[in-house]
Order: sequence, then C-alpha cells, then structure tokens
Amino acid sequence: MTDLRSMVRSSRAKLLVWRIGCAIVLVLALRAVLGLDWSAVAPSWLFLLTGLGRSWLLAVVSIVAGGLAAAPLALARVYGPPGIRQAATALIECVRATPELMIVFWVYFTLPLVTGDQVTSWNAALGSLSVIAAVYLAEVFRAGLYSVPRGQSEASAATGLSGFATFLYVVLPQAVRNMVPALIAQLVGLFKTTSLVYAIGVMEFFRSITVTNNAVFAPYELYLVLALGYFVSCFAITRVVRWFDPKYQLLE
Amino acid sequence: MDWHILWQYRAALWDGLMTTVWISALAIVGSTVVGVVIGCLGSTPSFFLRRLTSVYTELLRNLPLLVKVFFFYFILSMPTIPAALLGLVLHQSAYIADVTGAGVRSVARGQLDAGLSLGHGYWQVFRYVILPQAVRIVIPPMTTQYVSVIKNSSIVALIAVQDLTYQTQEINVETFRGFEAATAATALYVVVALAVIGSMTLLQRRVLAR
Repeated sequence: MTDLRSMVRSSRAKLLVWRIGCAIVLVLALRAVLGLDWSAVAPSWLFLLTGLGRSWLLAVVSIVAGGLAAAPLALARVYGPPGIRQAATALIECVRATPELMIVFWVYFTLPLVTGDQVTSWNAALGSLSVIAAVYLAEVFRAGLYSVPRGQSEASAATGLSGFATFLYVVLPQAVRNMVPALIAQLVGLFKTTSLVYAIGVMEFFRSITVTNNAVFAPYELYLVLALGYFVSCFAITRVVRWFDPKYQLLE
Repeated sequence: MDWHILWQYRAALWDGLMTTVWISALAIVGSTVVGVVIGCLGSTPSFFLRRLTSVYTELLRNLPLLVKVFFFYFILSMPTIPAALLGLVLHQSAYIADVTGAGVRSVARGQLDAGLSLGHGYWQVFRYVILPQAVRIVIPPMTTQYVSVIKNSSIVALIAVQDLTYQTQEINVETFRGFEAATAATALYVVVALAVIGSMTLLQRRVLAR
C-alpha cells in the first residue's frame, strides 16, 4: 500500500494519471461531438475553410504591413529628436488606448467621411488591423531595443564604431533575437482581433460561421467548429512561440 | 465639421460613457477575483491544480472575446448585459491568472522554502510571505489588463449593449456626423484608460511606501 502511494506521488505517475484523465475526457467529448447532427453543416465545409483562410490572410498580411510601419515608429520613439519622439509616443499611446473595434469603425465609417471616397470593407479591415499591429509591434520593437544592455553600445562606442554602426552591427542583431517570440506572440492577439472585422461585413471565419448558421441553423455544431478553428490556429502559433522560448509569457 | 452635434447628443454620449464605465468596472472586479484565485491555485505545488488551471487559461486565451460573448448571447440566449459581463470576465480572468501566476512565481523560491522550514504550512507562507511581495510585482501588468478590459468592453456594442461605441454608431447613423462622434468617443476612452492608469499608479505608490 505504501508502495502504491509513493508511486502516485512520483511525478511520472502523476503525469500518467493526468494523461489517462485527458484521454477519457477527449473520448467522451468525441462521442458527444459525433452524436451531434452534422448533415446540415457538412456541405459548407469549403466555405468555412475559406473563411478561416481569410482570417489567416488578414492576420498575416496586416502583421507584415504593421511591422513595416512599426519600425520607423519605434525608432522615432527611441532615437528620435525631441519633438518627433514625443509625437511618436503620443501617437502610439493614443492608438493603444483606443478600443480595437473603434479603430475598425474609424477606418471603415469615419475616414471616408473626411477623405470623401468609400473604402471596401476588405481594405478597411486590412487597414485597421495594420494600424493595430503597427502600434503594438512598435512597442515590441522598443522593448527589444531596450533589452540590449547599455554596456553593449558603450563598448562598441569605445572601440570606435560610429553611432549608426553601433546600432546596425551591435544593438540591432541582439534586439531582433530577443524580440522574435514577442513578435510571433503578437500574431496570436492579431488573429483573435480579426474576428472584429465581422462588424464591417468582411467574410472572415466568424462571419462565415454566423452566415452559415443563418442559413442552416445548427448553432451547436457551428459553434464547435468556430471554437475549434480559433483555438487550433492560436494554439499552433503559441507552440511556435514556445519553441523559440519555452519560458515566454504570452500576455495578449 | 460640426462640433455642436456633440452637445446636442451629450445625453447619449454620457449614457454610453456610463454604461462603458460600469460594465468595465464590474468586469474588472469579476475578472480580478476569478483570475487571482485561478492564478494562485496554478502556482501551488500541486501537480493536478497546475495542469487544470493551465487548461483553463489556454482554452480561454486562444478564443476571441467576440466568440465568447456571442456564445452566451445567441447560443445560450442570455440577456445582453450578463452575456457581455460573463464573456469579459472569462476572457480577462485567463490573462489575469497568468499575470498573477507569473507574479507569485517571481517571488524567490527561497522565500517559500524558508517559510516551510520554519514550520508554517503552505497556505500560511503563501498568505503572509509570498502574497505581499507578489502584489507589488503584479500591479503594473494588472494595469495593462484593466486597460484591456475597458477597450474590450467596446465589443458589447455588437450585441446591442448601449455603450460608448454603440452610441457613436447611433449618432453616425442618425446624423452622418461620424467623425465628431468617433473623435469624442475615442477621447473619452483615452480619458477612462488614463484614469485607470493614474489610480493604479497611486495604488502602487501606496503599496510600495508600506
């Protein structure tokens, strides 16, 4: 008896118990899932998959575009001359304090009132998600630049490198290495944010689910697909982050 | 530009602001309570508690807030406000649990060992040694989470809770003065966020002064 108890206390036995428990839950869940009526939903699989693909496309394109815009913003905030530095800081902080949904509405409803020509909902979605990505990535870049110890740039200045050479050959390579996990982690947040462009009529994953539900009315089945689609996508990105840095804390 | 429209619709904007503020306040309180409890359970030595809480956080963090809110509103047919609140609390509590867990773990391991070797139980050490130190570490990331709650609360406009974002859209539909309304709403959101950041900074000063 004491043998058994000490065995259960050992971490390998606990892991085994945990895995068996997970397996039982998964089997029960699978049985419940197969018990649902999938006949109404099954014909729409390609439509739903296209929606998921569009969500991915939105997230990836806007994180690339946002990254391109974020680099000058971050550089202006860290190295810019006095006036420009404050302007960049104010811009980043104001956009970061604005709800993402408001930014989407700004780009889709409000900017056309100022400029006079209508934007398509797809372009508005790309634009607003890029703006969101740009300000958050600017903060990631800034944190990356600050993560390089000051001694590094002092040492390279002492060896006679110019300010620009110090930045390019000493600070930047180390900063990039440090910020890779945070960069990919931003993709998780952005992927979830893509669900907001549902509000302006883009046929991404969330809207394609609601549209299908309006047509065939299978809320439980479709919500399961919805949750699974987002969970698998975000979880996959999380795994990539963990692969780069096992201890990385994903906080938004 | 016609900024008078804001004065004309001041009642609507004020109502929207108040709705945003009290929904955010309730969601902040709720998600802090749930998140801190889950975070503390997740940082105990118990293997199963750690695993279970990580399932909770991973599951909720990898789903968009909109999915949760729509689930409660459309699938479970809950009224708008409870659906919105439940969605916000579940969503943010996962992040707050992570912040709390990180804070508790960042208190040096030696502190726990020292407390245990003095003969105190785990919960005693947790309550009197680890928690007071963790609170200081946790306040800045908690501020970020609270600002997120305020920003995320705008999503409830999509299930027709008449918050600030909803009122902005209403003004836009009624008068086509979307620019003025959106500017005002954005400014109000920034003000609310700054108020939260300011009060959390004051709180941190008081905690650090002790």
